[in-house]
Amino acid sequence: MAQYSLYRRPWSAEPTSPFDQLRREMDALFNRFGNAPERWSGIPHGVFPAVNLYETADTYILTAELPGVAPDDIQVSLEGSTVTLQGERKIAYDDQEETSLHRRERQAGSFRRAFELPAVIDAEKVEAVHRNGVLMLRLPKTPEHQPRQITVQAS
Amino acid sequence: MTDTRALQAREKHDLEGEGTRPGATFRPDIDILERPDGYVIYADLPGADEGSVDVRFEGGTLTLDARLATLPEDSWRPLHTEYRLGTYHREFRLSENIDSGNVSARMRNGVLELHLPKSIAIQPRAIPVQAG
Repeated sequence: MAQYSLYRRPWSAEPTSPFDQLRREMDALFNRFGNAPERWSGIPHGVFPAVNLYETADTYILTAELPGVAPDDIQVSLEGSTVTLQGERKIAYDDQEETSLHRRERQAGSFRRAFELPAVIDAEKVEAVHRNGVLMLRLPKTPEHQPRQITVQAS
Repeated sequence: MTDTRALQAREKHDLEGEGTRPGATFRPDIDILERPDGYVIYADLPGADEGSVDVRFEGGTLTLDARLATLPEDSWRPLHTEYRLGTYHREFRLSENIDSGNVSARMRNGVLELHLPKSIAIQPRAIPVQAG
């Protein structure tokens, strides 16, 4: 059976307390059944897919590792600054007789995660590309959340 | 063969004892199936494409190497990191009775699917029993 290990931030050497773990598990539980977006400060435990978030001056880029998930099996939705990813990873082998499974490490199942982004997103301009098993969302900030150059005038 | 329970991401397995490789190298998750006529191997290689995967079968050992087809752009400032980026490597021993000239591979959605047919000589054959 598969073993699940805690994600640990590579730069953090702090041991995790049982309370942290409980909180994460409760968060994961609520996220699975409710609509509460995840807190970015939390260390994810047992959630799928794993994501990375990047930022440029005008855009957030969210990437998620979804190997073996067909584009049609991924739903992305956006509400305000909350992005939700959900779908299903199917692992279906041809059901042939006389097939024996020597090793099974890959997992199938459904997933759902919601993320609160640090700023409101321009929903009309969101782009989603699923390539090589990696989903990449480009989430442009609304103009009022983009940095602006202020011209300093001589008095 | 599908189930619908909630998926959980697993931390990538670091390869150990591979000091000569620069950067992080991970051991991909695989499934191995055996059929009467050959083996089928699936390997999760998110971020790799056809051109970045290298498969070798030599002396009974199958070696799998892959690297990411694209990397984050330099201008992207990381805000939150749950998975690490690096190359993939895995090797395992298989029966030597592989018809190595007919191995085929394809990539689909970041999953490598390898078909390794058995040599004809070792495939099960029905031996007709004749009346004496």
